[in-house]
Amino acid sequence: MSRHQYSMVLDLNKCLGCQTCTMACKKMWTDGDGMDYMYWNNVETRPGQGYPRKWDEMGGGFDRGQLRPSEIPTKEDYGQTFEYNYEARMYGGAASAQPHQEVRNTPNWDEDVGALMLGENYYFYLPRICNHCTNPACLAACPRSAIYKREEDGIVLIDQERCEGYRHCIQACPYKKIYFNELLGKSQKCIFCYPRLEKGDVNACAKQCPGRIRFVGLLDDPHSTVHKLVKVHKVALGLFPEKGTDPNVFYVPPFNPPRTGNYGKSILEDPRLPLDYLIYLFGEEVVEVIRRLEAELKVAQSGGRSEVLQLLIGRDAGVRYQIAQREDLVQIQPARHA
Amino acid sequence: MRSLLGFAFVIGAAVAAELTVGARSGVTGDLNPAGAVWQAVEASKLALHRTPPQYATEPPSALEIASVEVKVIRGAGKTWVRLAWPDPSAETASLDKPKKMWQSEGLVRQSAATNRFFDGCAVMLPAQPVANDLFPSLQMGDALHPVLIYYYDAARGAEVMEAAGRGTTKRTGRKFPARATWAGGNWTIVLELPEVAAGTPLSVAVWNGGQQDRDGRKYFSVWHRLQ
Ligand code: SF4
Ligand code: SF4
Repeated sequence: MSRHQYSMVLDLNKCLGCQTCTMACKKMWTDGDGMDYMYWNNVETRPGQGYPRKWDEMGGGFDRGQLRPSEIPTKEDYGQTFEYNYEARMYGGAASAQPHQEVRNTPNWDEDVGALMLGENYYFYLPRICNHCTNPACLAACPRSAIYKREEDGIVLIDQERCEGYRHCIQACPYKKIYFNELLGKSQKCIFCYPRLEKGDVNACAKQCPGRIRFVGLLDDPHSTVHKLVKVHKVALGLFPEKGTDPNVFYVPPFNPPRTGNYGKSILEDPRLPLDYLIYLFGEEVVEVIRRLEAELKVAQSGGRSEVLQLLIGRDAGVRYQIAQREDLVQIQPARHA
Repeated sequence: MRSLLGFAFVIGAAVAAELTVGARSGVTGDLNPAGAVWQAVEASKLALHRTPPQYATEPPSALEIASVEVKVIRGAGKTWVRLAWPDPSAETASLDKPKKMWQSEGLVRQSAATNRFFDGCAVMLPAQPVANDLFPSLQMGDALHPVLIYYYDAARGAEVMEAAGRGTTKRTGRKFPARATWAGGNWTIVLELPEVAAGTPLSVAVWNGGQQDRDGRKYFSVWHRLQ
């Protein structure tokens, strides 16, 4: 375990599915050669296939302390990358802009498809980055000790010098949040914007988010909003806790989405989406979390003051982000093997 | 899971088995695997073994390549090693060289695939002359007995690597001459090494991309003394 742990909380009730975060990350970190198909931050529609396709069924993580086997997603699982015939459309008289190849899959291919329940469609968005896990399976699987967890803030990084592109980490990560750059022969992943944090600025995905759904800070800092939401009020949960990696990205589950004719009713008394699906994503504890959130909502609706809801509104950057000063973090180099 | 590997391979600095690789001396080798000079060189057949699974949860993979044929020519201050083995599918590719790493303008070069692995082979030699029949550990040498690895990868070419124990393999950036052909379900590859003295132990590794081989997931031979 690292001395401190950076963490992100995302309130799924507020995500617009606008992909601004995806683009902020893409432009910041993954627009180099060989990185075309990579989205270190992606937003997928749930229920849905996810990105890469069916990642949640591929395996990885731990099973009673042992790494669980998994395949490596194919490029098509991630979604194809393609160009349009803009030349022909703009100057050659083509009737419409068409992709150069038949497109069978893209990230968020099934956008807004969702599923049906009691004849009504439901879906929500799930933005995902690397979880900078406390027990990273990727790190455990790397035979070259190329992956390390920073002692000072818990950020998980791949040493690009040591990495040989063996991809055991991609198999081991149950969230499939490591990507292979075939041209470089290196595995690459979300770096939690550590160069920005070190300058006192927040992650690009969080900074650009128009839904203001993201909260960033040290999980172990009692003054941070992430600490309050996760540890004090206990209203945010990690994805797939049973995968055994102890993720440090937490989600406030969707708890009160509207449905025709049931305004004001709790999701527990009249569900707008199957609770089983939320349990599948976040574990049994999600039921308790929803209860807590609804209790807070009742307080606010009856004119009281709910600290949880005030925090979740995330009025300004001061509420949402508490970036540690460099001096606050004890700068210890992680123990590394030769 | 590491202990499993350790258990299977803690041979440490092993004593030489009476296994040898024949060599022809006093002629100049040919990088061309089909070169006429190779016809007159006696071939040694080295049994290949499969490394155990990397994870306890991963099933062992099949022994699809039972042996590798080795021919060696020593002369003119060099040693040519020609390796041949059957492999019905050639896993090879020509990869674009990445140029723009950062904030590039215009179109980027694309990763064509995420899950393919390429065929390859290597000859491992002790980095220092061996004494008293003490050979380095087969697991990429050990701290006291470092090794040199002449590595060929069907997508990235040849490169010298150094290692002093498992997980310590380092690219040196030094290239060396090598030429490979795949035809009729067989790989034949000639590696041009600096002079290797008679009596030096060598071991051979083969990676079969089709079996997702890379790193320690591979075929290997035990040490054989070069004649
Ligand atoms: S989410 Fe995956 S890549 Fe990120 S730290 Fe956890 S196991 Fe490693
Ligand atoms: S920018 Fe914010 S609101 Fe938009 S998709 Fe990303 S997380 Fe959701």
